[in-house]
Amino acid sequence: MTETTANLADDKAGGKRRLPLSVLPIIELAMLALLLLYPILITYLTAEGETLDFNNYFVVRVTSIILLAMLAVSFDLCWGYSGIMSFGQALFFGIGGYFVAKLSEETGTTSLLVIVPAGMLVGLLSALFVGWFLLISKRTPTIIFVALGTLTASFAAERLVAGWQWVGAGNGMSIWDFATIFGTELEPGIGFYYLAVAFLLIAYLASRYLVRSQFGLALAGIRQNEHRLAFLGYRLQAFKLIVFSFAGLIAGWAGAIYAFHEGFVGPSTVGVTTSTYAVLYGLFGGVGTLIGPVIGAGVIEGLTVILSDNETLKAYWPIALGAVMLVVVAYQPTGLVGLLVSQRERFGSFGVRQGGKSSGTDDTGKATGND
Amino acid sequence: MDVAVKLIFDVLAFSSIMVLVVLGLAVIASMMGIFNLGHGEFVLLGAYTVYIFREMGLPEWTGMLAAPFLVAIAGLVIEIAFIRRLYASPVIAMLATFAIGLIIRELIRVLIGGQYYAIDEPVPGSVSLLGVDVSAWRAIIIFLTGALMVACFLFLTRTSFGLQIRGALENPGLARASGVSTTRLYAFTFAFGAALAGLAGALMVPLFSLSADLGVRFLVQAFLSVMLGGVGTFEGPILGSAVIGAMVPGFQWLREIPLFGIMVGDLIQPIVAEVLVFIVALVIVKFRPDGFITKGRI
Repeated sequence: MTETTANLADDKAGGKRRLPLSVLPIIELAMLALLLLYPILITYLTAEGETLDFNNYFVVRVTSIILLAMLAVSFDLCWGYSGIMSFGQALFFGIGGYFVAKLSEETGTTSLLVIVPAGMLVGLLSALFVGWFLLISKRTPTIIFVALGTLTASFAAERLVAGWQWVGAGNGMSIWDFATIFGTELEPGIGFYYLAVAFLLIAYLASRYLVRSQFGLALAGIRQNEHRLAFLGYRLQAFKLIVFSFAGLIAGWAGAIYAFHEGFVGPSTVGVTTSTYAVLYGLFGGVGTLIGPVIGAGVIEGLTVILSDNETLKAYWPIALGAVMLVVVAYQPTGLVGLLVSQRERFGSFGVRQGGKSSGTDDTGKATGND
Repeated sequence: MDVAVKLIFDVLAFSSIMVLVVLGLAVIASMMGIFNLGHGEFVLLGAYTVYIFREMGLPEWTGMLAAPFLVAIAGLVIEIAFIRRLYASPVIAMLATFAIGLIIRELIRVLIGGQYYAIDEPVPGSVSLLGVDVSAWRAIIIFLTGALMVACFLFLTRTSFGLQIRGALENPGLARASGVSTTRLYAFTFAFGAALAGLAGALMVPLFSLSADLGVRFLVQAFLSVMLGGVGTFEGPILGSAVIGAMVPGFQWLREIPLFGIMVGDLIQPIVAEVLVFIVALVIVKFRPDGFITKGRI
């Protein structure tokens, strides 16, 4: 009996294994193609007369959606991959935005070469601090404590900036200058659009690398059974803190660019509403896939743009979003992507496979070393 | 002396409202392990009931009387339709309550047209307390809250239904084996928590005007109160909400005290005082994860 199972396992792992049809890379590539072609398509479709305006409204709006998709990816890293229910992901997004807004107001800095690292650094440090406070303790904090802690942090930050004259209080801060790259001004439009796509792509690939690496394998183990992993000698909270900080980095980066794109950063950017939307994008698109939240952000924000012309529907739209969230949570926890992608594929494979054996030597070494 | 009485009274009034909100939240959290993120919207529903009754031409107090019952029914329906199936995974249930809260909040925002409505106090005027004039309505809120706490405590400790609740809290499996329907009990608990929130909303709406975001401002403070006090106890959350309720006006009051020759108020802006409450509460919860009260669970 055991022999046959072993043989079966061998067969499966060996060369004869049939490659399962993988849907996820197809979705990812399709999404990339769509993002790359979109401005050209929409410009031709909406063109009036002979002149083509590549900096039209639809391109500008979708640029902000792409930046929000980065926020959604950072949420997915927390909830989908490391089981941190971050109800305050907008905190890092907003802090990134506020920091660069203040930076450009005080020093006149508009160069992206400064803005991007500044946003990243502020996001990283604030996430590191919040994460250290919420995650690192002698006893593993409950998932509920972390969820409420992030929510509280985001709410408190919103109240703080809303009443703080130094950062514009309730009116927020306006950024009057355009972002510059090597001295060239970058207006919202097609140039900014492709820059945002490039940023999303970099953040996405970096996240994808992280969660598919051996580090990601440990994260998968944490999701499956925290106690077992702790028993094997993994410092769970350190793992979680690393992912949380990295997610904060992406959120801060996106927030900094978002502030320059909108030319404005206000209390709601840092607060509960934006945090909620990050959760919503993730759950709707499908957490634990990375591409899911991007699609979720695209669909939800895309519909918001379309519906914003209609005053009646606009008022009812948040209600519909709540209903969608309820249905997804209760009946379709894997989200939109879950309709297409199998459970097994969602789980993914890790690291490099060599001769049918997974290259888990590093991990086993660590595990035995600690036993 | 007058200032002190007034301060204590203000603290008591605010704490009373917090106790009402927190008690409902804590009952649900202790029993089912779910932090109801839609709790603020139950508060809002209670406030909205008063508004509806007033629009129908009825006096405010009828709305306040009806609010807990109507909100309890709403809570019961929500429990049966959605929450019931999610007890196995508290985080998912929390997200569901959040979605429900979002729906209620935005629905009411549409219904009241995004306006602010002032609701009159059913008992206007002021009463004299230790020679200081204080608002009569606030005094009634304090009295009602006190009475309700006593009633809840007696209900939980003296009635057989209360015993069932305590049993299910202690060990749900054993309670089921002893013939207690935990399903029914959970539904009742959820409705009861909602009723308390509805009552809180109805009583507080004359103090704060009615707007769609009425519930949200209490939600985070209520959560922190429950965590401060400790889940699973009766007196813990009450103590927690009293602490939070005292901190909010307390920090504001602190600004008036001169310290080392400079006014603290110059250093602490009003907004910082508000945020400080959250930070202090989080720090306490961090170092006392079980809350103030860990022994003597009901």
